[in-house]
Amino acid sequence: MTQAPDLPLWAAILAAIFVLIGAGATFIGSMGLLRLKTFYERVHSPTMGTTLGTVCILLASACVSSVVHARFSVHEALIFLFVSLTTPVTLMLLARAALYRDRVAGDESVPVEDDRSN
Amino acid sequence: MTDSRILLLVLALPFFGSLLSALLPRTARTAAGLVAGSVAVLATALLIPFYAPVARGEIVRLEIGWLPTLGLDLVFRVDGLAWLFAMMVLVIGALVVLYTRYYMAREDPVPRFFSYLLAFMGSMLGIVLSGNLVQLAFFWEMTSLFSFLLIGYWYGNRAARDGARMALIVTATGGLCLLVGVLLIGRIVGSYDLDVVLASGGTIRSSPLYLPALILVLLGAFTKSAQFPFHFWLPHAMAAPTPVSAYLHSATMVKAGIFLMIRLWPIFAGTDAWYFIVSFAGLATLLVGAWAAIFQHDLKGLLAYSTISHLGLITLLLGLSSPLAAVAAIFHTVNHATFKASLFMAAGIIDHESGTRDMRRLSGLARFMPFTATLAMVAAAAMAGVPLLNGFISKEMFLAEALDARGGPVIGFALPVLATLGAAFSVLYSLRFIHQTFFGPPPTDLPKVPHEPPGWMRRPIEILVIACLVVGIVPAATIGPVLQSAVRSVLGAQTPTYSLAIWHGFSAPLLLSMIALATGTLAYFRFRDALNRRAGPPVIARFKGGRMFERVLADIVRRARSLEGLFGTRRLQPQLRLLVCLACLAGLLPFLQLGYATGGLPVTPLDPAFAVIWIVGGICAVGAAQQAKYHRLASLVLMAGAGLVACISFVWLSAPDLALTQLLVETVTTVLLLLGLRWLPKRQPEVWPDDRPPARVVFRRSADLGIAIAAGLGAALLAYAMLTRPLPDTISRYFMEQAYPQGGGRNVVNVILVDFRAFDTLGEIAVLAIVALTIFSLLRRFRPASESIEPPVQQRMQDAADLHAGGRRVGDTKKDYLLVPRIIMEWLFPVIFVFAIYLLVRGHDLPGGGFAAGVAMSIAIMLQYMAGGTRVVESRLRIRPLRWIGAGLLLAVVTGVGALAFGYPFLTSWFRYLELPVIGKVPFGTALFFDLGVFLLVVGATALMLVAIAHQSIRTPRARTPARPDVPPVIREEGED
Repeated sequence: MTQAPDLPLWAAILAAIFVLIGAGATFIGSMGLLRLKTFYERVHSPTMGTTLGTVCILLASACVSSVVHARFSVHEALIFLFVSLTTPVTLMLLARAALYRDRVAGDESVPVEDDRSN
Repeated sequence: MTDSRILLLVLALPFFGSLLSALLPRTARTAAGLVAGSVAVLATALLIPFYAPVARGEIVRLEIGWLPTLGLDLVFRVDGLAWLFAMMVLVIGALVVLYTRYYMAREDPVPRFFSYLLAFMGSMLGIVLSGNLVQLAFFWEMTSLFSFLLIGYWYGNRAARDGARMALIVTATGGLCLLVGVLLIGRIVGSYDLDVVLASGGTIRSSPLYLPALILVLLGAFTKSAQFPFHFWLPHAMAAPTPVSAYLHSATMVKAGIFLMIRLWPIFAGTDAWYFIVSFAGLATLLVGAWAAIFQHDLKGLLAYSTISHLGLITLLLGLSSPLAAVAAIFHTVNHATFKASLFMAAGIIDHESGTRDMRRLSGLARFMPFTATLAMVAAAAMAGVPLLNGFISKEMFLAEALDARGGPVIGFALPVLATLGAAFSVLYSLRFIHQTFFGPPPTDLPKVPHEPPGWMRRPIEILVIACLVVGIVPAATIGPVLQSAVRSVLGAQTPTYSLAIWHGFSAPLLLSMIALATGTLAYFRFRDALNRRAGPPVIARFKGGRMFERVLADIVRRARSLEGLFGTRRLQPQLRLLVCLACLAGLLPFLQLGYATGGLPVTPLDPAFAVIWIVGGICAVGAAQQAKYHRLASLVLMAGAGLVACISFVWLSAPDLALTQLLVETVTTVLLLLGLRWLPKRQPEVWPDDRPPARVVFRRSADLGIAIAAGLGAALLAYAMLTRPLPDTISRYFMEQAYPQGGGRNVVNVILVDFRAFDTLGEIAVLAIVALTIFSLLRRFRPASESIEPPVQQRMQDAADLHAGGRRVGDTKKDYLLVPRIIMEWLFPVIFVFAIYLLVRGHDLPGGGFAAGVAMSIAIMLQYMAGGTRVVESRLRIRPLRWIGAGLLLAVVTGVGALAFGYPFLTSWFRYLELPVIGKVPFGTALFFDLGVFLLVVGATALMLVAIAHQSIRTPRARTPARPDVPPVIREEGED
């Protein structure tokens, strides 16, 4: 691992704060995944990591890169764009599949299918 | 005009013509004939000028260095003998080409025939012009191969297939013996160069390896030249088209063995072993062949056995070991080629124009085809040894040699008698051939009304028959000088004085010759009706070489099967167990001998974060193994987790290139495996009698666990021992230093792949293409297990619900569920495409490159398939993986060949900076084209596998019919669109 490069103190502190917030958010999300009971509850908790967690860590990365390379770093924006575009796909597919299975199994607690198909 | 490089041209012309002919459309008979004919004529014209130096006794040599340290160079040489044989191959080849043009039926794929024929001509020229023994053995096997293809030309015919296979197995096995024999000679002499070998006859004859070498070389020569007891393949080879019989199986290929014996005569002949083996084989072949020929009813069968007999005669002459006998052998080889080729062509005409080759049905054809009859009669008379024809002179020389043969009184008496007997047989079958076919009452039950063939079909026979006559009447003025130069090139200082003339006065050979003529004629008229009634030759009919061969072959196959049953298994688990155990053992052995010790390098402190990542990876890996039996999906997910950990490790250890590739490959692998899961049958939970697995199962599983732990631990220990040692000064330093100055790239890994080691990469992508094709062809005919044919439960339920609900079509539920994800996935296609191109372009300087880009691109395609379904994707996007694979391979090769055009070795890259408008200075190298080829190929290969799996789902497998449960399910391939 390369050690922290010659960063000015303010940038280091700023980056550290962002990283800590991001890591904390992701950690809370992971805890939620572990502790929550039903599937539908659980499906929400990882989004902590993919939204707030990712954003904060990317901000830290942008901050460090911009200072080190002495130019405004925008690569992280792309990463954010794609992560926020693609993560919902997974969650949507998982939730849809779970919903379908529960309906087929006759679970009363899930919402019934709308009128369109009836 | 006798530049030795012309030899290379002479040799290359037939192969070039063969390729050209192979590319012609299948109906282009005249064009293919023209190609073949002009190749033969041109090569002849190129070779003729070599006669001048050859006649002076010079040897024209051409050497092209290849592997000089191994004594393997391309050496072409022409001397008197080689010139004579090469001319024979080319001239008879040209005549056969002309004949073939008229012989072949309109519906036969004639260009293919000429393609094989020319390739054979080239291989045969290769044999006679070779100046290196290994090279000779190589061309030798090539003639066997093309003979196989030519005999099996009408592959719809079972006899042709069997005959081709028999000829190939016999002659190729002989060729292998020859190769070993040649290697032995090379070991004795220390060189494979023919001139060196020929100069060291004494060394070879006095070596203890002489006898093995002799026997192995003779096995090659005897199988090729159909000598007893290997003669049985030649009659079976008569299933070939007649031009092939005329060319390969009478004039040239069967003479390859004779050529080899003549060529090596100076070094092998003169010992007792040579004398007894070669003379006995020759004599036996002479008599057995002639005897069997008498009893044939098929014209070609008669000619085949007579060919065997004449080959035996030549072999016998060579075995006698006297220089004069060698002269007679060379002379008779030429004579036999002329009259036998013309007889085969005449037999072909008879077959062609009358519809049968059965002599019992043929009769009185002289009335219908007087010209052909005359020509055949002259040729047959030459075969019988009638005076004024070439066969007479060589036969007289043969009888004279039989009389002079050394040996005891028994041999001294028996040989002339047996030789005369053979000659009498030859008169008998020649007479039978002619009399039965052309004389007598008009035929009654022929399939066609016989008539003369087209004039051009007869022309080759006319030329050959005129040659028979001219050589027979004025031998000294025609063949004399050529024969003399051939003889001198073989015998050198031993060259005897001999006279080629028809009249030597009244002598013992003449007397024997006359006795043979008279006896043969008398015997024919005495026994001709009896001959027609017999079904096979008496005495030797029980010795059926062909049947014995089949039996031996069947026996070998059976034994191989039982060995396979004993040592092989189709079950994957034992195979894998064996493989891993062997690898463990191989890894363990050196450590048992030399001991295990770690190196002295200091150990870096363990980073806790890294340790945690690895613990997670380890848990994933163990979990994958543990879940593999009952929950494949979970196992796959865990495996992907382990893969991601490997990827993170690469990033951690500063190997971004590897990390990138690992990530992409991991993605593709997981998705492809996921798609494959659908076709695996559901595993039933284990139900043991007492709820407890039996001891045998427990034992096997524990043993497997032990093996797995041992293998893993061994690999880890090995890696640890390696990593704690300092890196030796390997070539990697050179790569690091030279990547930019020589390869023009800062990404060393990529420069190694596309420049320094581009040839390896080329091989690897070729393998990848082959693997993809193999997977595709395996899956194309894939029959899923009966329980996984039906669509999955969920799909069936959805479809049923769609079907029963009003206003919905089957598949709507799925479509609704996937609507948003599908749109996002489809919109990601251009993004991933751009990303792939970015990886490709920057690959030379930064992590990326053709392979990574290709995998990324295939992920884009895969996403489309997953989002939209096979039908939707293929109706919008033209997926042509085969073309991509082809284009990629071609581009990579063309880039490599491009370097040759500038005088650099294959795959040398060229590099410079280009000044582009707008973008500015851009590095540019030919390696990019190579990388583009890699990219295309990887995309194609991955897409091909994906398509193969995807198409499984849209096929409609026919359900198993309950009435016949043992019938395997059949898949209707209507879904292939």
